[in-house]
Amino acid sequence: MIGFIVKRFAQAVFVVIAVSLIVAVAIRMTGDPALMIAQGAANITEADLDRIREGLGLNQPFLVQYLNSLRGLVTWDLGNSFVGGTPVNLLVDKALPATLSLAFASMFVSIVVSIPLGIRAAVARGRGSDQLIRIFSLLGLSFPNFWLATMLVLLFSITLKWLPPSGMSGFASFIMPAVTMGVILTATNVRLVRTTMLDTLNSQYIMVARAKGLSERKVLYKHALRNCAIPLITYFGLQFGGLLGGIVVIERVFNWPGMGTLAFDAVAARDYPVLQSVIMILALLIVGINLLVDIAYGIVDPRIRTK
Amino acid sequence: MSSTMSFKQVTVSALGLLLVSGALASPVFADGTLTVSSPQDPGSWDPVDTFLINWASVGTNLFDGLTYRGPDMKLVPALATSWDVLDDGTRIRFTLREGVTFHDGEPFNAEAVKFTFDRLLGEEGAKGPQQSNYTAIESVEVIDDNTVDFHLKAPDPVLLTKLAGYGAMIVPPQYIEEHGEEYFNTHPVGTGPFQFVSYEPKVSIKLKAYDGFWGDGPKLSELDYRFISEPSTAVAELQSGGVDVVIPPTIPIAMIPTIEDDDNLDLVTTSGPTVYALRFNTAEGITADERVRKALIMAVDRDAIVNEILGGQAQVIASFQGERSFGFDPDMEPLPYAPDKAKQLLEEAGITPGAQVQIDIRGNDATFAEVTQAVSAYLSMVGITASIHPVETNTLLNDIIPQGKTGAMFQQSWGGWTFDFDNTAYAMYHSGQKWNPYDSDPKMDELLESQRSLTDPAERERILQEIAQYAADRALEMPLYSLNAIYGVNKRVKHFEPAPDNRMRLNEVEVE
Repeated sequence: MIGFIVKRFAQAVFVVIAVSLIVAVAIRMTGDPALMIAQGAANITEADLDRIREGLGLNQPFLVQYLNSLRGLVTWDLGNSFVGGTPVNLLVDKALPATLSLAFASMFVSIVVSIPLGIRAAVARGRGSDQLIRIFSLLGLSFPNFWLATMLVLLFSITLKWLPPSGMSGFASFIMPAVTMGVILTATNVRLVRTTMLDTLNSQYIMVARAKGLSERKVLYKHALRNCAIPLITYFGLQFGGLLGGIVVIERVFNWPGMGTLAFDAVAARDYPVLQSVIMILALLIVGINLLVDIAYGIVDPRIRTK
Repeated sequence: MSSTMSFKQVTVSALGLLLVSGALASPVFADGTLTVSSPQDPGSWDPVDTFLINWASVGTNLFDGLTYRGPDMKLVPALATSWDVLDDGTRIRFTLREGVTFHDGEPFNAEAVKFTFDRLLGEEGAKGPQQSNYTAIESVEVIDDNTVDFHLKAPDPVLLTKLAGYGAMIVPPQYIEEHGEEYFNTHPVGTGPFQFVSYEPKVSIKLKAYDGFWGDGPKLSELDYRFISEPSTAVAELQSGGVDVVIPPTIPIAMIPTIEDDDNLDLVTTSGPTVYALRFNTAEGITADERVRKALIMAVDRDAIVNEILGGQAQVIASFQGERSFGFDPDMEPLPYAPDKAKQLLEEAGITPGAQVQIDIRGNDATFAEVTQAVSAYLSMVGITASIHPVETNTLLNDIIPQGKTGAMFQQSWGGWTFDFDNTAYAMYHSGQKWNPYDSDPKMDELLESQRSLTDPAERERILQEIAQYAADRALEMPLYSLNAIYGVNKRVKHFEPAPDNRMRLNEVEVE
């Protein structure tokens, strides 16, 4: 068991380091941050640009810059943004909770909707409501989420004036972004819940529970759902990691001050410290979640450990 | 039940009536809050750190320079009340305004001016792009509390205008020495009509009225800026009342009907300095021939493009500058729209119908992409097949153009924020400049260099107009249009004057 954990942990560390190296190399191939800072200036000379590069630390050899950034990640001193010198820690301290809270809200919406719907579809298998639910699931998967976002804003913010169109400003502002993100997640999760439930509902002990005379509600939610819990939680956990990456579009449409917005602006401005930090933090989160899920699985299912 | 009310009931209802009437009678034109949507957060409010125009929309309200240039483009005294140009233009003596204080209470005086420019020309300024604009200044000398001398290395005719620019905004010496540079970036203090309240990076910056302001005090009590980069989101906020003003360049042409159709909103526009052109590859391909270039220009109906695609929110240009630019010649005519003449010239140059050209444009500019498609359609009518090639902006500007790897034409757009053609022309036409990878013309270089240090504005203007004419004669580019600065404003905002360069000083503005 210990060997298993150590092995998985070592793999995780390797992935994180590989990502950091790839990111550091890739962004340096895309253009000169000094030019970005100087844009708009009338008579900028090569000497001026070099002066700016010196101030940003870009004249140091690549290895020095790379190791400094790794060290910064470990000591949690992420440097200063190339755009205005804002400390990256300040930016991330605000952006990370913003993105995480939106991600959690989206997952919450999706779970709250997909579990009852998925169970209903499984129970009604092949009949009317199952067909209906599966059609809605397909629709949800097919909608481009930025279109849905714009439509929601048009209805709820401009026409009805019930909700704020953008920004993170209290509970009401979470509703539209979380629902938009939630729709896509729900579409996948409904089918997942349906499939897992179908497997469970066919098993012997469910027949026994029904024979015992338990109410259908107790059979479904107290017994069957519990059995589905492990694969569902595993899947939702992994989905969370993917969610963090896909949230950029939603953050942009709703002007959500999260990691997606930071990354987007940093790419446009060639802002190395911000871009590296954002990508590394997200990578750490995703690798970390996967590691925990792997270990949990290994604890629950002994067969996995022997691989 | 008695039909008359008890004393208590009478008192309560009387008080109630009083409160309600008080609320209803509260002044309509009292102080208020204005919320502005800005597309970009510059990250630092220090005047020396950036050239981004979105710094100015906030910075103009926090800081003052020695001179000020408003939307009418006239240079007026600000923190300096008068000045004398001495010693053949190498020394300028400024008399400073008295009784001015910074937002933190410290006095504005000659020491503050000296501190500002020593800082700009020294280490702190070296980290940013503003320093390069002020290198004509050798040193600043304090003569007495209200007088300073600027010693220049060489006469600079544009210096007084530059003193109204960002880098020359006067900063508070004591505040910076006490709190340090990093704190100053996120907690700015100046002498302007509004003072800093709070800043949340990438979200908002909030200002409030400064009652110690030396000029016309602001009529607003609070001024908030929200950073919204996505155009449709900014317009949605405008429509729902979340913001009162959306500043350029946020509003795309396509969204203009949305604003015009809304009863609560006004579209406020003014001619702007941003100019667009298609620059030719004068070194290779069919565009190396001047006749071909002129033919291509004459093939395109630029007036139609402005009216149909840009909804009239632009002006056709004859040279690569807007109408407010110093050096603009209102009498200069662009080449006419004459497709028959174009075909004739192409035939003369030996170009067969079906010849291919590639047009490189910026990937993120939806409006210009539409314009280019129209250009391509016009070109096909004279037998030229154009393919449009969008490229990521930074790659185009910093890699493809400077290294001369473009197609036959590429998007040439310029902010023109100095409103002086010298700036634009030098960057576009001088040998060795980033924007000019294909051409090297000694006569052009000579013209450009000759006007740089002239102090006689009339002579400078004449030479700049000559440069514009020469560029047109050689057909170095196809000048297209200058875009209007488009503001979306809620009707509750009064006395709002659109600034062509985002430098909106909002002390006159009131809200209902």
